Amino acid sequence: MLERALSLREGSIIVVTILTAIYFSANTSSFFTSANFKTLLPYFAPLAILGAGEVFVMILGEIDLSIGAMYLFAPFVFYKLSTAGIPLVPCVILALLCCMVVGLVNGFFTAVVGISSFVTTLGMLFTFEGLALIISHGQPVATPGAEVHQTTHQVTHVVNGVHVTLPETVNHISTFAKVFGGGTYSELIWAVAIVIFLQVVLTFTRWGLYTVSIGSNKLGAGEAGVRVRLVMIRNFMLCALLAGFVGILEAVRAQSVQPDPAGANEILFLAIASAVIGGTLLAGGSGTVVGALIGALFLGILKDGLVLQGVNANYLLFYTGLAIILAASVGVYVSRARRGRGSG
Amino acid sequence: MADPANGPERVVGPTSADDDVLRVEHIAKRFGPVTALRDVNLHLRKGEVLGLLGDNGAGKSTLIKIICGFQRPDSGQMFVHGEPFAPRSVDEGRARGIETVYQDLALIDELSVYHNLFLRRERVHHPIPLLANRQMKREARAALDQIGINIPRIDVSVARLSGGQRQAIAVARTVNSDADILLLDEPLAAMGAKEGAMILDLVARLKDEGRVSIIMILHNYVHVLEACDRVSMIQDGAIALDKPTAETSVEELTEIVVNEYKRARMAAHEQEHPAA
Repeated sequence: MLERALSLREGSIIVVTILTAIYFSANTSSFFTSANFKTLLPYFAPLAILGAGEVFVMILGEIDLSIGAMYLFAPFVFYKLSTAGIPLVPCVILALLCCMVVGLVNGFFTAVVGISSFVTTLGMLFTFEGLALIISHGQPVATPGAEVHQTTHQVTHVVNGVHVTLPETVNHISTFAKVFGGGTYSELIWAVAIVIFLQVVLTFTRWGLYTVSIGSNKLGAGEAGVRVRLVMIRNFMLCALLAGFVGILEAVRAQSVQPDPAGANEILFLAIASAVIGGTLLAGGSGTVVGALIGALFLGILKDGLVLQGVNANYLLFYTGLAIILAASVGVYVSRARRGRGSG
Repeated sequence: MADPANGPERVVGPTSADDDVLRVEHIAKRFGPVTALRDVNLHLRKGEVLGLLGDNGAGKSTLIKIICGFQRPDSGQMFVHGEPFAPRSVDEGRARGIETVYQDLALIDELSVYHNLFLRRERVHHPIPLLANRQMKREARAALDQIGINIPRIDVSVARLSGGQRQAIAVARTVNSDADILLLDEPLAAMGAKEGAMILDLVARLKDEGRVSIIMILHNYVHVLEACDRVSMIQDGAIALDKPTAETSVEELTEIVVNEYKRARMAAHEQEHPAA
């Protein structure tokens, strides 16, 4: 039953994604290549991780807009701590703990004080994007640990039986950078691992069961003994943690930390779009982490394919918007069919 | 006649018996300007079925929610098996052996029948605490069969069930537990005659087994006299009547309610036309 419901919920977007990929493969020779797959990765892997966290909040029937701020804020905290002489990995952990405290505050205002999460996290979005600008003085910085070292080797080739020795430059990045976003497949591996882990948590643990319960019937969940506030706060902390983590991965990959709230806000909305396209209801009670990953993949393929086709960049947002509305409509239809005659 | 502003004509004080499993003394609860419960005294004996009666808004459901731990009283004490009992959560109430069927049933539409049956008492694997779904399905099926509730499929979401079936699941959830005090807030509300009879049969069977004690809110006095050993009636936030069902009748219970209605009418009249 679980497998069936899962396949149903994500079924429509899987089909749409595959069809989109086939369309672009047929129309552009360069789409179905490994080089293109590599350019696709940095676009969709961060969205998949952000979407996974957002799904945990959206199933509650809440929303977290502050992930844009965490995405921007965490790498600067990481930078500041690192310049204070703390080793890299502890810096990552401390920066992520800061994000979790922000998530705790989001959860507290939403679950305990009772302010709508839209308002709470909108406030936190501006507050922490502002704070990121303040502590960075609006200046980009080089990401600690992501420096590229170039070494020059004398390489001997045999050309037409003649030995030719030429200098060649090789780029090296540290193991830290390779693990935390710098490696070609680093973000993909993180995304897949996080998505699988969180889907298992959502479907096969009490935490997931209670998350769905709260989104479906908050009062009833409380009456049954579910600790509603605790679960809600925990989910907001998870969401903030993942957003901060993506921020650091992206900073390491780009080798610099940019004080760019507009870019962060775009990432925020694309992450929410990934979750919605993947079949997670904004109204709560239902959602899938794997769906958010596929939603992110769909957005990635759409953007990449349109670019390869030479479509005017101005059309990108237009098509993305239509896709979101279409996918959400299909989601509502499927969910109605699945629930049968409704809540009665 | 008593002043209607001061509530019913008489208020039952704290009473007790040697074999009480639950005692409620001087419980009061306000919601802002509204006094839901003024001074409630109640006791429940082992193996007993106590019918809790009262007009709409008399405070029955509030009392149930206080006893189970979902809400906290402003004042008063409670005792379970003679030990002080001040639950701060439903979990704490449950730990002391109290399970509740709420008026709104507290079912989760998005979850399956068996997940609802085990909500907050899920079976999990060890050492990795993943849900033991197969075990829960098996136990849920066995529990429903034992209770005699016919649910064709237990892996569908409860949103797909009829009102009566949902009610039955909510009742089954409390019965299928280790609790020895069951609180049933209108367990027959959404049920047809046949399903209602099934639940009353179940209550009678539980009574015969003698393991659990039950407080049940009912509206139909025929059901009350059939299923309950004793009745307590709440009027204006206090218990106004406490009697074994053998010593009362549909007529007496109706008369009390009619009198209360008259009193309320008169009070409303006096407010509109103050005596010169």
